[in-house]
Amino acid sequence: MVWGTRLSPELWRLLYSLLKQIHEGGCTKSDTIDTQIRFVKSVLRYHGYGRSEFYQLPSDGSVGSRELLLAFSWLLHRINLLEQLLSVNRVKIRDETSLCTGDSKLGECGDNLLKSWKGMTELAPEPGLKNEVDIRYLQWLNGRLRFQWRSLHVDYQEQCKLLYKIHVYTNGSHMDQTVGHFSVTETDLIRQPDNYKQLMQLLESETSRLEAFLEWKQLEPVYWQWMETVLDTMVEDVITCSAQDICSKKTTLANAPLCYCSADNIVEEIDQLTKDLVILGDGLCDVVTCKKSEWHEKIKGRERELLDEKEFSEAIGKIHEAVELKLSELKYQCAHKKNKMHGPCRLVFKDKHPASKMGFGRSRAKEALMNVSASELINELRMKEARLEKELKQLQEECRHKLTEVVDGMDSMICIPPMKR
Amino acid sequence: MSVVTVQLGQCGNQIGHEVFNAICSDFHSTHGLCSKKENESYQEACKERFFSEEKTGVPVARAVLVDMEPKVISQTLSMAARSGCWKYDHQSHFCQKQGSGNNWANGYSVHGPRHKDAIMNLVQKEAEKCDRLSGFFTVMSMAGGTGSGMGAFVTQCLRDAFPASFILNQVVWPYGTGEVIVQNYNSVLTLSHLYQSSDALLVHENDAIHKICAQLMNIKQISFRDVNRVIAHQLGSVFQPTHTSEGAVRYSRNPLGDLMESLVPHPEFKMLGLRNIPQMSENSLAYSTFTWPGLIKHLRQMLIANAKMEEGINWQVRPPLPGLPVSQKCSPSRAPHFNTSIANLVILRGKDVQSVDVGGFRDAALYTSWLNPQDAFNVWKTPRAFNKYEKSAALVSNSQFLLKPLDDIVGKAWNMFASKAYVHQYTKFGIEEEDFLDCFTALEQVLSSYASL
Repeated sequence: MVWGTRLSPELWRLLYSLLKQIHEGGCTKSDTIDTQIRFVKSVLRYHGYGRSEFYQLPSDGSVGSRELLLAFSWLLHRINLLEQLLSVNRVKIRDETSLCTGDSKLGECGDNLLKSWKGMTELAPEPGLKNEVDIRYLQWLNGRLRFQWRSLHVDYQEQCKLLYKIHVYTNGSHMDQTVGHFSVTETDLIRQPDNYKQLMQLLESETSRLEAFLEWKQLEPVYWQWMETVLDTMVEDVITCSAQDICSKKTTLANAPLCYCSADNIVEEIDQLTKDLVILGDGLCDVVTCKKSEWHEKIKGRERELLDEKEFSEAIGKIHEAVELKLSELKYQCAHKKNKMHGPCRLVFKDKHPASKMGFGRSRAKEALMNVSASELINELRMKEARLEKELKQLQEECRHKLTEVVDGMDSMICIPPMKR
Repeated sequence: MSVVTVQLGQCGNQIGHEVFNAICSDFHSTHGLCSKKENESYQEACKERFFSEEKTGVPVARAVLVDMEPKVISQTLSMAARSGCWKYDHQSHFCQKQGSGNNWANGYSVHGPRHKDAIMNLVQKEAEKCDRLSGFFTVMSMAGGTGSGMGAFVTQCLRDAFPASFILNQVVWPYGTGEVIVQNYNSVLTLSHLYQSSDALLVHENDAIHKICAQLMNIKQISFRDVNRVIAHQLGSVFQPTHTSEGAVRYSRNPLGDLMESLVPHPEFKMLGLRNIPQMSENSLAYSTFTWPGLIKHLRQMLIANAKMEEGINWQVRPPLPGLPVSQKCSPSRAPHFNTSIANLVILRGKDVQSVDVGGFRDAALYTSWLNPQDAFNVWKTPRAFNKYEKSAALVSNSQFLLKPLDDIVGKAWNMFASKAYVHQYTKFGIEEEDFLDCFTALEQVLSSYASL
């Protein structure tokens, strides 16, 4: 196999345009090869690609077509590149919203957050002559964030209101009886029928993409066999290049090329991690014993206080209530665990149960479409909000306590809390 | 991007009525000086902001009118209806049969809670009419009795019921030699309560507006109506649609949010002053021409020297040299000094607006040390002229404008409080001395924050 150097820039551009679609959506044609390469490298690092030879490739894009091929194959397997591309470019006819109750694995939530890559590359404003930032400036920025969040809230509310109007007005008109009303796209199509041509084109191109994908799936094993030969040649090159090997172990896991780091490095890292784990474990044990002894102290203290039987039974009653509340919350959570969804889902308006949602094929489970009613979700989120508010109040109390302690220690200083409402 | 206006008390209702008048007459203005398309876009945005459609075709103001007496409200309702251009929703008002003795504490602790549900129902109805509720704009006087007390309570209720909405309070500062003997108490109580629930307080001083009427508009017998009209004109020049970013094609759909974000993100600094230039009587308008450089220069000096209008500006005041420590800047009790800003917003309307150079406002010397002009200064523009002024510029400023007036009021109130004069009028209805002290402390904190800029 001859690795032509003219292939490298093309491969860089390919990777750039593909990855841009997943992160951020839409290429800026004016980006130089340099910026493109930096972007591709940063995305691969984010996803955990650890091959140092790749990151050492020059930023003019002149060499490295084999490395790029490896990286591309890694992406194919690791992040399901093709499936993600299909999903991003899907034609959306139905009304959708994205769901996040904040309980899902960090990875899923993280993906949503990191879809917009721009913020990552812009650095904080230069601090100027002083190295520190004035806290009033931070308060200013925090305030701006709060206001922007509120503006976003206004946007969402408007969207909900208008969506509701459309759903109510078109209720009873849809051929599909389970849905009963039109989506925004469908309504728009009725108002401007000429747009159907555009929609048809989009659907046709999506169909051809899906057909191509199916073809690819049939030929996929051939591709991986070829990649194995590429890996073989690479290993040979490495052996011939350096006598002392930083050897790359070839694994045959799932026919896919994993990221190749040196075995020594891996072993070192594992040792380090084991040490960290042990230290953490010890630390946790210490904390637990500390807390236990604190608790015992507290209990003894409380016992001394609560000699009065009436007070005692009152206190027990309160504790009972709190525990029951927590238990019921837990029960509710366990019972509804199967409803934990994350990601986009379809919005359907139901008269009897105002607005329910039907899960999309995003969930790997092969069970029938899951129906989650919006009111259930709202209740769940409200309970969560109440819990978090309580936690916040507790933390605020602790801070206030600390502050008063600090101020007590200072002469001629008083702490004036803000006005009570 | 609809704004629901809550008119509180006599002052609030009269000013609110003039504001809608000014907006409506600008809406119908034939001197737009811009393309037809631009004008239509402007009118559409204006309509969505302030009026809702009704079957009769006459636009209905998005407003809730609140007062303890029926007289002013019925006057306001009928005057609006007679105009033929717009009207109020005649269901959207709340009043009682008899007044309530002009007492702040009575308004805040008694009438407020008693009528909370009725009033909030009206507000909720108006809010639901909006497809997109940008926020609330309340109009009230600060020193009155029930209007101010109830106003403070209603603002609190608004905040509780709409935690994610923007709330802008327009507050009228009383005449220094006002009639109400406890006006300083009322002012202190109103301001400290508003500061907690509201996002921004936009202040108009009666004394300053009175001077504008006398010197700029050449009005001989100045009535409250004249004063209210000037205030309405100034407010209109802020609230009418604008493009809030460079190269924007559509009018902003988030007027209150944009305003808040550019001026009052910091929770300690919420006091906003408003200046508008040029202001003159209609007769003189026909014979005057203005240039943008001239207008901008005057506006900038008005900011720096804390002038209330474009005549009598002190041109000697200059920005301080960089590097001077804060302690060298004057304290509030001394003579006129340089007015340090936290943030400024300039709104330009009319002919050749694209070519205006506002570089003078981006001078870092104008601003406090911890905020750079990039963050602190914003400019909004529209080529559509406002209310017969070929070119007009408004400045909304979060600066030391109100430092001295606030200091005066707090000082006078404190002197009265030290001898416990009239305090029983308040304790009678549940405002205790402790509450007074809390309010004084809160305002002292505000004063100190602004003084140390």
